[in-house]
Amino acid sequence: MILKYLKSKNKKEIIYKIAFKLDHSKSYYKTKSAISDILNEPENRYKKYIDSMIIFLIVSSVAILIYEVKHPVPHWMDTYDIYIVSFIFLVEYLLRLWVHNDICEAITIEHKEADYLSREFEPWTPIKKALIEKFNYMMRPSSIIDLLAIFPAYRPLRVLRLFVLFRVLKLLRYSKNIKHFMEVLANKRFELLTLLLLLIFIVMTAGIALYVLEEQINPNVNSLFDALYWSLVTISTVGYGDISPVTNEGKVISMLIIVSGIAMISFATSVIVSAFSEKLNELKENRIVEQINKSDKFLVICGYGQLAKTFLRQEEGLEHHYIILDKDQERVDEAILDGYDAIKADASRHETLSKFSVDYTKITILCLTNSDIENIYITLNAKIIDPKIEVIARANDSALYNKFVRAGADHILMPNSVANTMLLAAISKPAMYKAVFDILTGKNIAKVDEVTLYEDNPLIGSRIKDIDFKRMKLLFIGIQRGSDRPFLLNPPDDEIFQKGDVLIMMGRKISHIHFRDMYQVHRI
Amino acid sequence: MRKRAFLFGYGQHGRAIAEGLKIEEFKVIILESEESNLEVAKEDGFLDTMLIDITKDSQLESLMIEDDDKVICVMDDEHLNVFLTLSLRSIYEHSFLLSISDSIHTTQKLKKAGANRVISLYEVSANRIHNILKRPTATQLLDGFVTNHSDISFKEMTIPVGSRLDGVMVDDIYFGEYKVLLVGMIDEELSQKFLFITAGVEHKIDAGDTIVCIGKDEDLLEFEKSVVNTEDMEKLI
Repeated sequence: MILKYLKSKNKKEIIYKIAFKLDHSKSYYKTKSAISDILNEPENRYKKYIDSMIIFLIVSSVAILIYEVKHPVPHWMDTYDIYIVSFIFLVEYLLRLWVHNDICEAITIEHKEADYLSREFEPWTPIKKALIEKFNYMMRPSSIIDLLAIFPAYRPLRVLRLFVLFRVLKLLRYSKNIKHFMEVLANKRFELLTLLLLLIFIVMTAGIALYVLEEQINPNVNSLFDALYWSLVTISTVGYGDISPVTNEGKVISMLIIVSGIAMISFATSVIVSAFSEKLNELKENRIVEQINKSDKFLVICGYGQLAKTFLRQEEGLEHHYIILDKDQERVDEAILDGYDAIKADASRHETLSKFSVDYTKITILCLTNSDIENIYITLNAKIIDPKIEVIARANDSALYNKFVRAGADHILMPNSVANTMLLAAISKPAMYKAVFDILTGKNIAKVDEVTLYEDNPLIGSRIKDIDFKRMKLLFIGIQRGSDRPFLLNPPDDEIFQKGDVLIMMGRKISHIHFRDMYQVHRI
Repeated sequence: MRKRAFLFGYGQHGRAIAEGLKIEEFKVIILESEESNLEVAKEDGFLDTMLIDITKDSQLESLMIEDDDKVICVMDDEHLNVFLTLSLRSIYEHSFLLSISDSIHTTQKLKKAGANRVISLYEVSANRIHNILKRPTATQLLDGFVTNHSDISFKEMTIPVGSRLDGVMVDDIYFGEYKVLLVGMIDEELSQKFLFITAGVEHKIDAGDTIVCIGKDEDLLEFEKSVVNTEDMEKLI
């Protein structure tokens, strides 16, 4: 008795030890989360390779299915289809099942709790729970499809060959459009279900009626199945004509179900269309967000007001990808009409900004709404989601400058105070106003640009006087050497360029391009 | 006599501009159509204030604005602002009219209405975003030069008669000696337009021309002293 007790306790301990070890093993955890990431995170870099491979497997096995209808299948194709494809699908299925939840973690938690409450450690409860969870996962439609897709085409039995088509259904997982389509239909579950019940009711009634009326007379109606088949073909307005009523009573039934069929089809169509028109905007917006998440870096412009408009208009061919967010539908429409990508969203909400793939891309947020409170809120929101997000915020009231700094804005724009300063300069220092205005608005003649000297740049080691800035019509302003050192304005002309120097100069765009071409400096 | 500036509108922009004009030692005359805004102006210590109905030409005519006065139209309502600019231009043909606009369309309207200078509220800021994204270092430096956050800034100076720069070709001066850079100039002989040094045109500096330089504040002062006679300096700054 005691021995048995010891034994069972020992078993439990062993289970716990294994679970604990796995749960605390870094490599186990890392592998698991990496696999989960690749399988389930759309933003993962490697996911698209895995996806393309699976899609290739599916397409090729379907191609083999079609090919073999008329041709004998070579042996290697058979091997490929039965062993390789099935094996990979099996592995995929098992991995998905494995990463779905964590048994080890459940066991260790249970152990901890048991320890804490000084009750007996019972590993079976968490294991049971976790297994039920896994079973529920297996019962999901997508998992069932995955499971059925593993079965290789069993050629001798023709019907079983169609198992390959489950592999096609697997594609659903990779097509966002179909997924969205399903979601839309799921939203109209109630209407569609009502319709289906009504359809079944009419088909059954009409079918039975025809069966009763014509089974003896009509040579084409031999069973109830035939009658039901006729009824469905008729109500759907397909009307093959292989079975048609011969008695007047049967014809009357036909007429009735044809009329109800038209009504039902238009009802179904309207339900689906209205579901889509309701969701269309959302679908489009998701599309835009997905598209932009694929780029390495992009801008999120919050608020489509005058500042945003001026910004977008200023430079043709903005190098950055961007997306405009605005709370106001009217402004969103205006932006779309102007030819920009815009969606209606409130950037001050956590959900809105967290839709963007913060981990994989460099995001710059421009808070350009005309409300300072809103801009501060968006800044805070962005910085809470990830401090890596760069924020350029607009402050209408220059007294709020410090608040923006505290909220974490990387750059602060103050259009009002800039405009006021410019106006004052225009009155009191007209010449300087013109110069500064042209420089600040980046007029072609006075573009200030910078060139960073990376390793291997031919300029490193040469002196300022060796370079004929004047001939290139450039005004060499100075060197920024390291971000914390003071700016070297107009340094003496025997100064030597060093690695990492940022050269600041002014001139026409064409001069800057010429300079870059000559010294092989290109922006990275 | 002190230079006069007529400031229409004491709202969003008017307040900050009035403050700046006061520092520049202008005699500021504030005109408003809103009683409440005018009260604020009085509280801020401006004595020359006047309630005005800008839609009445007779009231505008009674202001007696002279040709070398500066007129600033920064009413909060942009429609009023355009209307005001138009009325003022029709009454006072030669005075210097300035305005602030918040959109491209308003800028066009103000220019059409006859404003000499229209400052676009967002143009500078919008360009700054481009600059931050494309050339962060240069932008940071420029910001410093313009906003007095660094000891480097822009300065303009007019060349007086008898200055050592009078009659010298731009290319022949070695500005490096003074540790300042010549950015550009207004050549009185040619036009009133500002010419950047990078335009690549040879220029002779004459008395009456205005040059704009960039440099450290103390170097700029030093340079100015060598260009302008000290007793003239008071007048020029």
